[in-house]
Amino acid sequence: MTETNDPLKGYRGRARERLQALGVRVWSEVRILNEEGSSFEGVILPRSETSDDLHVVVKLATGYNVGLHIDRIREIQELGFKEAIYKIPEQEFPESPDLPKVTLLGTGGTIASRLDYRTGAVIPAFTPGELYGAVPELAELCNLTTRKIFGVFSENMGWEEYVTLARAVGDEIEAGVDGVVIGHGTDTMGHTAAVLSFMVQNSPVPIVLVGSQRSSDRPSSDAALNLIHAVRSAAYGDVAEVQICMFGPTSDQYGLLHRGTRCRKMHSSYRSTFRTVGDIPLCRVSATEFEPLTDEYLPRNSHRRVKIDPLYDDRVTILYYYPGMKPDIVDALVEQGYQGIIIAGTGLGHVNKPVFPALERAIEKGVHVVMTVQTLWGYAQMYVYDTGRDLLDIGIVPLDNMLPETALMKLGWVLGHTHDHDEVREMMRHSFSHEITEREPHNGYLILQGGLPETEEFVLSQWK
Amino acid sequence: MLGSLHFPLANLERRAVEGSIDYEQVGLRVGLEVHQQLLTEQKMFCRCPAGLYTEHHDGIVLRHMRPTLSELGEYDGTALMEFKTKKNIVYLLHKSNVCTYEMDDTPPFIVNRRAIDIAIEHCLMLGCDVVDEVHIARKQYLDGSIPTGFQRTAIVGVNGRLPFRGRQLTVIQVSVEEDSCREVRDRGHLAVWRTDRLGMPLIETVTGPELRTPEEVEEAILLIGRVGRSTGHVRVGMGASRQDVNVSVRGGQRVEIKGVPQASRARQLVHSEALRQVELLRLRDELHRRGFQRPSDIDMEHIDITTLVTDFRLDSLRRENWERFVEAEEMRPGMELAEGPFSVRAIRLPGLAGTVGRASQPGRTFAHELAGRVRVIATLDQPPILLHSDDWPEYPQAGEELKEIRQAASCTPDDALVVVWGVESDTVTAAEEIQLRYADATEGVPHETRQALPDGCTDFERILPGPDRMYPDTDSPPRLVSRARVDRLRVDLPEPPWGRQA
Ligand SMILES: [Zn+2]
Repeated sequence: MTETNDPLKGYRGRARERLQALGVRVWSEVRILNEEGSSFEGVILPRSETSDDLHVVVKLATGYNVGLHIDRIREIQELGFKEAIYKIPEQEFPESPDLPKVTLLGTGGTIASRLDYRTGAVIPAFTPGELYGAVPELAELCNLTTRKIFGVFSENMGWEEYVTLARAVGDEIEAGVDGVVIGHGTDTMGHTAAVLSFMVQNSPVPIVLVGSQRSSDRPSSDAALNLIHAVRSAAYGDVAEVQICMFGPTSDQYGLLHRGTRCRKMHSSYRSTFRTVGDIPLCRVSATEFEPLTDEYLPRNSHRRVKIDPLYDDRVTILYYYPGMKPDIVDALVEQGYQGIIIAGTGLGHVNKPVFPALERAIEKGVHVVMTVQTLWGYAQMYVYDTGRDLLDIGIVPLDNMLPETALMKLGWVLGHTHDHDEVREMMRHSFSHEITEREPHNGYLILQGGLPETEEFVLSQWK
Repeated sequence: MLGSLHFPLANLERRAVEGSIDYEQVGLRVGLEVHQQLLTEQKMFCRCPAGLYTEHHDGIVLRHMRPTLSELGEYDGTALMEFKTKKNIVYLLHKSNVCTYEMDDTPPFIVNRRAIDIAIEHCLMLGCDVVDEVHIARKQYLDGSIPTGFQRTAIVGVNGRLPFRGRQLTVIQVSVEEDSCREVRDRGHLAVWRTDRLGMPLIETVTGPELRTPEEVEEAILLIGRVGRSTGHVRVGMGASRQDVNVSVRGGQRVEIKGVPQASRARQLVHSEALRQVELLRLRDELHRRGFQRPSDIDMEHIDITTLVTDFRLDSLRRENWERFVEAEEMRPGMELAEGPFSVRAIRLPGLAGTVGRASQPGRTFAHELAGRVRVIATLDQPPILLHSDDWPEYPQAGEELKEIRQAASCTPDDALVVVWGVESDTVTAAEEIQLRYADATEGVPHETRQALPDGCTDFERILPGPDRMYPDTDSPPRLVSRARVDRLRVDLPEPPWGRQA
């Protein structure tokens, strides 16, 4: 995401030398003649840094791009030069005194964008003016303010970013907004939603994370609709918790609001990738309606005072158990100074016997070891089998139906407050934001099995 | 189907439009984009079987297409309006021939190597220069024919030559691209597409605009088809080969006639389009004579006349007739139908009397141009789509009823009157669209894509986007084409068709 002033951006080695020798650069409008006598007229584009050093990329007048081998280029004639402008002209976002105030916090990733057709570049839209140009419907919903907190890809989010984000959310709420929307890449949106559920407590207003699964530069993107749903939920929704707002089905139908501690990305690319696990979503939101699915949530209340609690200890990790795991892996973590280990165990929360002594050693050294289930659905019920009971005896803390990723974020947050074994245990087992639920409703576990006639009949009767 | 409805020809403009025109004199220029499906086992960007068609489905997806921002970074009024009168787009899926890639829920896999190889062979047959690196681009389509909203396409070769009638026909480029959906239904605000064909690889051969007569067009299509088939690696049979024919006359504009299924059909289509452009240029001159020099000179007013026409004899304008149509076509609110009341709308076009009924294609008038836009963009599709004062239907009391409407709309004898009906918001869109079509007419021939009708005429399909709709496919890495690979493919090439004839 860094801008460089390199006139031969992305070109290395031989291609770079050749272009330099020919006196042309990126954005040069050129006519290239190759050894076969073919002529290519277009603009030299920057080259992807991961590509080889033997080709020049040209965007032709027809809009197509081609790569030309430098050894086959006979001559390049520069016809002109016009730098790409990575900017969106702004339009004033209309102010309406009667509409709620919503702040959109940006963390990176694009929610809206426009294309520069000359170069094919995708230019992110973020300021209210830019967003108004991209998603004009927003102006009918709220008065929008935007703040870019940082620009990182979702996978590069970390504890420092979580703290900054939590504080920013707190600032906005203190300033009196009616709802906060956080634009976020989808890969680690679940982690951020979970950690914010602990760092931002007692919110008077909705805090809604939103992103897109299909980039916003394409006509079929889910980005605009997700943003509209999220802004509606922040401005008018009643759930004053941290929640994720993304597509319900893959069809352009409605969004679902998922509780931040119970939500998981379940498909690498589907639009309807986010699912509430072990419970049902909070609400269904469409362009015109809210349909609450439960009444168990913290309702909006402007008199409530938000509490920002952004403490953390990042020496925590997840150990995904597999058969044949050796104890040395636990010892290595302890040796490296990890203070908290979340085990994603098999079944009801199990690991094999040979690992036991290593876990015992870890706990003796003050490392906090907690148990979740890699099945994602269901409870760690370690009292059922001997294996589980032995693990409990060692001092491993069962986390019931807390999701492994939620447990990771929570343990990091808890260890920012205390390292006392009993206090950690108590905080981990206390449910701050439904991260542990006492009851799993039977519709909290619902994965239809495809291929069965009754499933197929049902699926055909619904929008996918 | 709707486009083949005939309007009676205007009495005041009964020109001999069926007759011949001198193609050389009007400066006819035609170029081709010939599409041929490739004989590969798998599709182009996923591992689904290619060429497996189904007539039923086991899943449905609903999508909408949102225009991406224009060059200026904002929606202009038209784009926003088009979005607000948006289409509900339904895709029919069958597990046997589509996966989550076609649904646009999985990014593309690496492009089918065999498809590139066949395209290279085709390039070599046409004497094209094969590019060194194939870059996949996205070409935007908002009509829903591709669920992503764009077609993945890439240039494989450029700068070819095809011996043709003793001269060389330029082959500008050969590209390889994924095929689109098959249309099942298009009514009102709903378009339904079948996805089986989607994603099959095809090659597109683009010629220069060097064909001069309809006969040459037919012959060139047949020749390019033979070149493709000579390798034995393209599909044959119904729908395996389709061409877009780009037609212009001197002073006109490149108009793309889309999806011409057979070469023999091209002749009449090219003739009709040449005639249409000549007539549109005449209309432009007439508009200029009347003082409409620029698009902004076209004025328009519209009013709701639903109450006025309630008891009219004219069946087309009665609510019952509309309701019967809605019922017969099974149009559902929120799907085919927009929300809102039924409305009849009178549109006054100051100073344009006599121009609606002017000739265009054989057997058609300018009213068809208006109706095409209204049908596609305002999605009003109850035949005859619109009525107008240059050719008001004949029935007892026709004169009185037309007079009443003209009075209600404050028409002077110089003004043209057009009447549309349907859901209120659509009729407003229709009025604005009619104004826009007249605005285009002040400049001559609009740059558009037209669909081929069985009778050899064409109807509006969409505004033709320029090269502006292309951008790189960030999901697909470029593919290297080594000279060794090109040379290997060259070895097994068959004799070209012109070689055999010689
Ligand atoms: Zn597939």
